[in-house]
Amino acid sequence: MEKSKTYMNSYLAGILIGVFMIGAYYFSGEGLGASGALKAVVVATVDGVNHDYAKDAHFFSARVQNEEQSPAKSWLVFEVLGVIAGAILSAALAGRLKMEIIKGPNITNNKRLIFALIGGLLFGIGSQLGRGCTSGMVMSGMGVLSLSGFIGLIAIFGGGYIIAYFFRKLWI
Amino acid sequence: MKKFDVIYVGLLLVGAFWAFVINSANDEPIDRVQPCDLLDIVSQTDKYMTTDELARRLMSDDPTLALIDLRSKTEYDKYSLTGATNIPLENVLDDEYVDIINQDIQTVVFYGNSSDLAAKAWMLTKRLGYQNSYILKGGLNRWVETILRPREPQETASRVEFERYSFRKAASSYFGGGSALGESTTTKRLSAPIKRKKKSAAGGGCD
Amino acid sequence: MGPLFPLGLIGDELNMLIGFIIGIGFGFLLEAAGFTNTRKLAGVFYGYDFVVLKVFFSAAITAAIGLFLMNHYGLIDIKATFYPKTFWIPTLVGGFIMAFGFIIGGFCPGTSICAAVTGKIDAMVFVLGAIIGIFGYAFTYESIWEDLRNSGAMGRVNIAEWIGVSDGTFILLLTIVAAIAFFAVSVIQKKVTEKNDYQL
Repeated sequence: MEKSKTYMNSYLAGILIGVFMIGAYYFSGEGLGASGALKAVVVATVDGVNHDYAKDAHFFSARVQNEEQSPAKSWLVFEVLGVIAGAILSAALAGRLKMEIIKGPNITNNKRLIFALIGGLLFGIGSQLGRGCTSGMVMSGMGVLSLSGFIGLIAIFGGGYIIAYFFRKLWI
Repeated sequence: MKKFDVIYVGLLLVGAFWAFVINSANDEPIDRVQPCDLLDIVSQTDKYMTTDELARRLMSDDPTLALIDLRSKTEYDKYSLTGATNIPLENVLDDEYVDIINQDIQTVVFYGNSSDLAAKAWMLTKRLGYQNSYILKGGLNRWVETILRPREPQETASRVEFERYSFRKAASSYFGGGSALGESTTTKRLSAPIKRKKKSAAGGGCD
Repeated sequence: MGPLFPLGLIGDELNMLIGFIIGIGFGFLLEAAGFTNTRKLAGVFYGYDFVVLKVFFSAAITAAIGLFLMNHYGLIDIKATFYPKTFWIPTLVGGFIMAFGFIIGGFCPGTSICAAVTGKIDAMVFVLGAIIGIFGYAFTYESIWEDLRNSGAMGRVNIAEWIGVSDGTFILLLTIVAAIAFFAVSVIQKKVTEKNDYQL
């Protein structure tokens, strides 16, 4: 537990994230998000490889109509570039910048990586279907008291508690 | 829980309580402009549109112009400006006109016989936080004086004044000035209510 | 009068720059709070570390209070912001899929990006997985997901209005519930970590 002492107080971190979220809404009218930027990367890639396909496919069409502007040049992409810079800065200051695999005590590295891949896959699909991920939909949605934020909260965390028991070997 | 935890959570509770108190104490609509802001708005100088500017925009058939005639129906029927919509001052707040007056696509220009009526309507819209509304400076009286019956400047006047005069003369003939004002020579184009649109909608967040 | 960008008060470039700066703050805080450590994240489901719950709720509540007050005092028009529309069916289904993703993968997209760039190899794999997932979703969108995604549309729904209380009352109730939960989890965490020795 010594290591966690170097982490910031959870409530203070939360309050400050809330302040930045207010800033995001005040200046740009946006919530804080992450999966949207990953999607922008996917859209930009597909658009770059085959624009004609992207124009017709329903998933892409609305996002590639503007011919002059790359779908990657969006607010969220810049926000996530900032997230990357901020995370590196914080980790560097706290001396946590090192290559490692963090996992539960009872599984192997390979297993951890395979499960991480599967988890990422599911999150990729779920965030698209659910119109946003934990930060973009649930946290930012709760900030403006949107019903969808609270439904997402119940689904993600409620669902998590229901299934946690079956995957306990991964973590404890 | 540690000491700092209690402080931070306490802060959140205080904030929430504040929100609760002001929400229950005060049911006024939240999008109204506060009096101190109103003072700033009232003292701003760009609330007027000059008759020259209006003439220029009318002549270029500017589609972003929404002219509002605040006088009574009888006065409006006698004479009005091209394309003006008649909304007597007492009806300005009616629901049916809100889409015309509160929108940010077109420039709303209020006019009456003088600046008087328009200033009242303009105040109301600012109090409600509407954007993009202007007062026709001097109203119809000034319109007649400057655009329909412009006076030739003195020989000694500056070049600028002469240029303005020639513009006004052109405008005068365009608007059929000089003729009797009793009859409306202008065609009326009552614009249909325009739905509000934001200039650029916020993006999709995480979506 | 906010939000500044949607109302046309600031330009595109400045808006992107602000996004970048806000992102720096967000990323810094996520890392500083310990969100790059997947075991700390998963802890919320097993009772040994509740950092997720604490950060998450205090952030959401801070934003809710702040935005409510700013809206009340006329500093921002919440309805002009990104206000998520509610589609309850896909949100519920997608949320459950994300719950599996969370438990199995140990991250959510935001935290995985922070963790990946600070050297966590499992997070890099998670991000790769998420991108593959979005690709897969995109190419099967019309055949599998489109109808589901657009079902259950309710428009822009404010939860306080939906329940039938004022915004202020809802925020106060939410904060009280959160404060009780904060206290409860600190007790639970103490018990669980005393019983088992968790190396984080």
